[in-house]
Amino acid sequence: MRHRVRTVLAVAGVAVTTAMLLDMVLLAGGIERSFTRLLEGRGFQIRVSPKGTLPFDTEATIPDAAGVRRRIAADSAVVAVGPVLATSLYARHGDSLVTLFGYGIDPTAQAIYEVERGRDLGPDDSTGVLLSVPVAERFGLVPGDTLILQSRLDPEAVRAAVSRRLVVRGIVRWLYDYKGQPSVGTIVTVLQDLAGLRAGDRVSAFAVKVRTDAEAAAATERLRSALPRLEVNSIADFVRRFRERLVYFRQVSYIIGSISLIVTVLLLSTLLSITVNERRGEIATLRAIGVARGTIVGGVMLEGALLTLVGGALGAALGAVTATYLDRILTAFPGLPASISFFVPDPQSLTLAGALLVATGVLAGAYPALLAARAPIAATLRAEAT
Amino acid sequence: MSGLLTAVGLRKDYPMNGEVVHALRGVSLTIERGEYVAVVGPSGSGKSTLLQLLGGIDSPTAGSVHLDGVHLEALSDRELTRIRLTRIGFVFQRFHLLPVLTALENVELPMAEAGLARAERRARARELLRYVGLESRVSHRPTALSGGEMQRVAIARALANRPAMILADEPTGELDAATGHTILSLFRRLHDDGATLVVVTHDEHLAREAGRVVQMLDGRMVADPSGIAPEQVADGC
Repeated sequence: MRHRVRTVLAVAGVAVTTAMLLDMVLLAGGIERSFTRLLEGRGFQIRVSPKGTLPFDTEATIPDAAGVRRRIAADSAVVAVGPVLATSLYARHGDSLVTLFGYGIDPTAQAIYEVERGRDLGPDDSTGVLLSVPVAERFGLVPGDTLILQSRLDPEAVRAAVSRRLVVRGIVRWLYDYKGQPSVGTIVTVLQDLAGLRAGDRVSAFAVKVRTDAEAAAATERLRSALPRLEVNSIADFVRRFRERLVYFRQVSYIIGSISLIVTVLLLSTLLSITVNERRGEIATLRAIGVARGTIVGGVMLEGALLTLVGGALGAALGAVTATYLDRILTAFPGLPASISFFVPDPQSLTLAGALLVATGVLAGAYPALLAARAPIAATLRAEAT
Repeated sequence: MSGLLTAVGLRKDYPMNGEVVHALRGVSLTIERGEYVAVVGPSGSGKSTLLQLLGGIDSPTAGSVHLDGVHLEALSDRELTRIRLTRIGFVFQRFHLLPVLTALENVELPMAEAGLARAERRARARELLRYVGLESRVSHRPTALSGGEMQRVAIARALANRPAMILADEPTGELDAATGHTILSLFRRLHDDGATLVVVTHDEHLAREAGRVVQMLDGRMVADPSGIAPEQVADGC
């Protein structure tokens, strides 16, 4: 603290590089953790979708939903099977039609929403509807109000639009919705009627829950064999694919994180080398009066570690603020589920980052400490005296 | 080998600007316990180099130094450091106190390094600061002290581990005459209390205080009226 401005600048430098390191650590695995958390949110470990697709990736559907459901449920490890139909439909709002995203669900086995207000649909509730917050706000609806949903108009089939007046049971958060997505949900059969898919008993996907997470991999394999015309994936499969897609993203995070560590080492080494050089006389005196080399080395390294800790603490706060800000920008990207985050803290990663930072501080102090320890006492005192 | 400190045939050469400087050219002397020795001579005569060799800060090119029978050049760096910490007290021209520590903490420093318990070293540091007349300045940092006060803190620090001998290099060199007299009185008191003192100085007053004056010139001891003649020591070994 002899040179306050220099110390403050060094601490600020360490804080900035720490913030960068922290953000890169959060970013490197954050989206993967967030994605996993999203998929595991309701405890369904397996997804079944049309061959060659991912759930909700295309408009492809699975026929004979009841039959497929029975076959999935026949597996000894399976405890719940939830069919989901996803399609677009309309709601009348004054004189105009508003396009909505519709989910057909079985409220007794669903993996895609959480009720926020009102109540859930009953198992055979053919007159109820669940709304997302954006729909409720846009239409000014609360539980108990009614909403008229209408199917797509198909000019080629010259099919008349089917419409249903439904009672709002609850306001829900659809886990896979992007920010502001206008979504509604009914029981599967109601949406099948509206979408004209009742005849083939078609759904978009199934969410499957097995007894324990440990049984998920084996159950996935058995279902793959049992349903060769369908795509069966466990959450672990999705995460693996997701990780493969994000490999470059992760590499960039590691590179930037490493650069921030290197900058910290250079910054602290430079500062401590200057400090040691300025204090050569003092260090020589300490050695002369009997202070051991180890004490001198320890002192310089402690100084490096302290600068790192203070800068690191400030950097952690700065990193949290910038991560929040950057997360807001990145999650506003169209089509991304609103519950996905790019910067997700993970105790293991944070511990690793903290350990790396302290090691960096100690490493940064090593060279200046060596300089201090090797300083010749007599020659330095001679030089000081002249 | 008698005496507290015995130096025999000390030579010291070191390179400077591409040339070899012969700082000491065969100096021998013995210092008895309780002696007050002043080493005088013009600049560049080798006084400070002699002091550094006597204190184990530097090693001679040739010759030997024995402190209480211990051959300093035979010691490892760790052992020599320990000797400097516990057996020798140093006082420098420029005080060299740690600016981030208070007067009390500066005096405590050698005791902390020697492993003394906190309460014990704190009490002794207070006692020493009282001895040098700075009991009211214990909490002051060096920047808040005058030159004379800093030197008195440095003397208290030198006394911290009850050394066998105090080595002082131009202790009044940075002080005005009046302040220098305070230091001079302090050294006299130290000597009266039984301390062994070796003081390198240009200060005639300080030199006059010493019981024995060793004169240096061009790396040689040219006069040591009350000490053992260099030849005698050399012959004796």
